[in-house]
Amino acid sequence: MGVVTANIQDPHWGMYIVWYFFLGGIAGGAYFTAAIADYFGGPRERQMAKIGYYIAWPLTVICGILLILDLGTPSRFLNMLREFKWQSPMSVGAWGLAVFGAFATVSAVLAYFERGPMPVLSLSEADRLRYRRLVGLVGTLAGFFLASYTGVLLGSTAIPMWTESRLMGALFLASAASTGVASIALVAWLRGLDLGETWNRIHRFDRFAIVWEAVLLAALLVMLGGAAEPIVSGRYALLFWVGLVAIGLVAPFVLQLRTGHHSGRPTFALALPALLVLVGGFVLRYVVIMSGPYHG
Amino acid sequence: MAATMTQKVMYTDTTICTGCRACMVACKQWNQLPYEEPEWTGGYGNRSHFSDKAWRFVRFIEVDDPRPSHKGEVQWLMMSDVCKHCQQAGCLEACPTGAIHRTAWGTVDIDQGICNGCRDCVASCPFGVIAFNADTGRVNKCTFCSDRVPAGMPTACAKTCPTSSIRFGDKEPMLEMARARVKELKAQGFERANLYGDSDILGGLNAFYVLADSPSVYGLPERPELPQRNVNLDSALAIASSVVIGLAALVSFRDQGAGRQG
Repeated sequence: MGVVTANIQDPHWGMYIVWYFFLGGIAGGAYFTAAIADYFGGPRERQMAKIGYYIAWPLTVICGILLILDLGTPSRFLNMLREFKWQSPMSVGAWGLAVFGAFATVSAVLAYFERGPMPVLSLSEADRLRYRRLVGLVGTLAGFFLASYTGVLLGSTAIPMWTESRLMGALFLASAASTGVASIALVAWLRGLDLGETWNRIHRFDRFAIVWEAVLLAALLVMLGGAAEPIVSGRYALLFWVGLVAIGLVAPFVLQLRTGHHSGRPTFALALPALLVLVGGFVLRYVVIMSGPYHG
Repeated sequence: MAATMTQKVMYTDTTICTGCRACMVACKQWNQLPYEEPEWTGGYGNRSHFSDKAWRFVRFIEVDDPRPSHKGEVQWLMMSDVCKHCQQAGCLEACPTGAIHRTAWGTVDIDQGICNGCRDCVASCPFGVIAFNADTGRVNKCTFCSDRVPAGMPTACAKTCPTSSIRFGDKEPMLEMARARVKELKAQGFERANLYGDSDILGGLNAFYVLADSPSVYGLPERPELPQRNVNLDSALAIASSVVIGLAALVSFRDQGAGRQG
C-alpha cells in the first residue's frame, strides 16, 4: 500500500514515468546541445549535431508512447489537448512535448537530407543547412522546456520530497544536458565516428554540466532538509549515493579529466564517462519519483 | 437553474460526532461503491486514508484532553473526513484535461468521461483525498453528491448523520453557525477549538470543520497551500539553469576560427 501519511496519496507514477523523465531529458538535452553546436560551432560540429537530432527524434516518439502506455487507454491521451492551462505543468508539458516533437522531426529530416536529392521540398544544400540551424536555434527553447518541465511538475505537487525545494526543474535541466551530450558521445563511439577535437569539446561541456548538476543537487538537498530523508539516509540512500553521486557524477568527471582525443576512431575510454553519466541520469529520475510518496 | 445556485457547504461539527459511521455507509450506498477490506489502524477506526472506493471515513483519535481542567484524562476525538472542496483546489489546477471542474454551487467535481487518468491531481491534493481507480483507469473522490444537490437534496452523508455532526446548507449561515460553536467550545474550556476552512485555508473550504483541538491532531495540515504556487518560481529557476547551460554549450562548441585544430 503506497500511503504512509493520511495527507498524501500515492499517484502511482511508476517505471513508464521514470523512463519518460529520463528519455525526455535526453531528447531535450541532445537536441539543444546539438542545435547550439550546429549554430555556433564550425563544420566539425555538424556531424555531432546530426547525431543529436537523430537521437532526439526517435526518443520523442518513444516518450509519447510511454505516456500513452501510462494512461492505459491510448485515445485518452487526446484529452490532454482539450485545454491549455498555464498553471498546470501536466497540461503545458503535453503541449510542449508535441511542439518539441515538431522541431525534432523537422531537424532530423533536414539533417538526413543534408546532401543529395531531397523529396517534396527542392531546397538547395546551402538553404537546408541554413534552415536546419535556424530551426535548431528556435527549437532549443523547446528542448530546454522538455528537459526541465518535469521537475517543475514535481515541484507543483503536495508531496514533500518533490515540492519543498525550488530547484527540481533546474536540476533536471542540468542532468538533461549531461545525459544528452553523453548520449551523443555514446552513439558517436558505437558508430566509430571520427569527431576529432570535438571529443574534447564534448567532454569540456559535459564536465561543466556535471559540476552544475552537482551544485544544484547540493542546493536542492539543503532546501529539502528533512524531506530529503528517503534519498539521503532512507530507503533509496544506497542507490542515490552510489548510483547517482559516485557513478553518475564523480566517476565520469574524473575520467573525462584524464582522457584527451584528437583524431581517429574513438576508444572505449571516451565512451565510458558517457555511459556512467547515463546511469546517473536514470538513477536520479528513479530515486526522485519512487521516493516521493514514501517520505517519513 | 444551476447558474443561479448559491454556494453550498458541508459543515462538520466534529465535537458531536459519535463515530457511528452511518455517513460512510450512506456514501457507499448512494454512490454504489464496492466493499474494501478494512484496515488495521491500531484503534477503533477501520481505515486511515481515502481511496477510490472510500470517499468518506471517520477518524478515531485518542489524545490527551485538550481542556486544562481535565488534565491527564484521555479525550476521544472523532471526525468524519471528506474532500474539502477547496476554493483554491490543487487538483483542479493540476488537471490538464478540464475533467476536474468547479460546480455552480462552488464544489469540486470530476467528469468521469473526460478524466484520462494522468494522476497529477492525486499528487497535488494537500489532503490526500483523490485516489486512482485501477478498474476504470480514472480518479475518484467525493462528488459532493452532484447527482442530488441540483435536485434540491442534501448530500447523502449529511442526510443520514443522526447527530447532525454533518450539516448541509448555504455557505454564510453555516459559517455563522460554526463560528458561534467555536465560541461555545472555548467557553467550555476547549482553548484550541477552531474553525478549519474559513477563507484563511485555501481560500475557504466548502467542506469545513469545527475542531476541538489543533488541526494536526486530526491529521490535517495546519497551513495547507496551493501546490501550483511554486510553478512560476520553479520555472524561472529552470530558465536560469537553461541560460547557464546554454552559455556553457555556446562557449564549449563555438567556432574558434580558421586557426583551430581539426
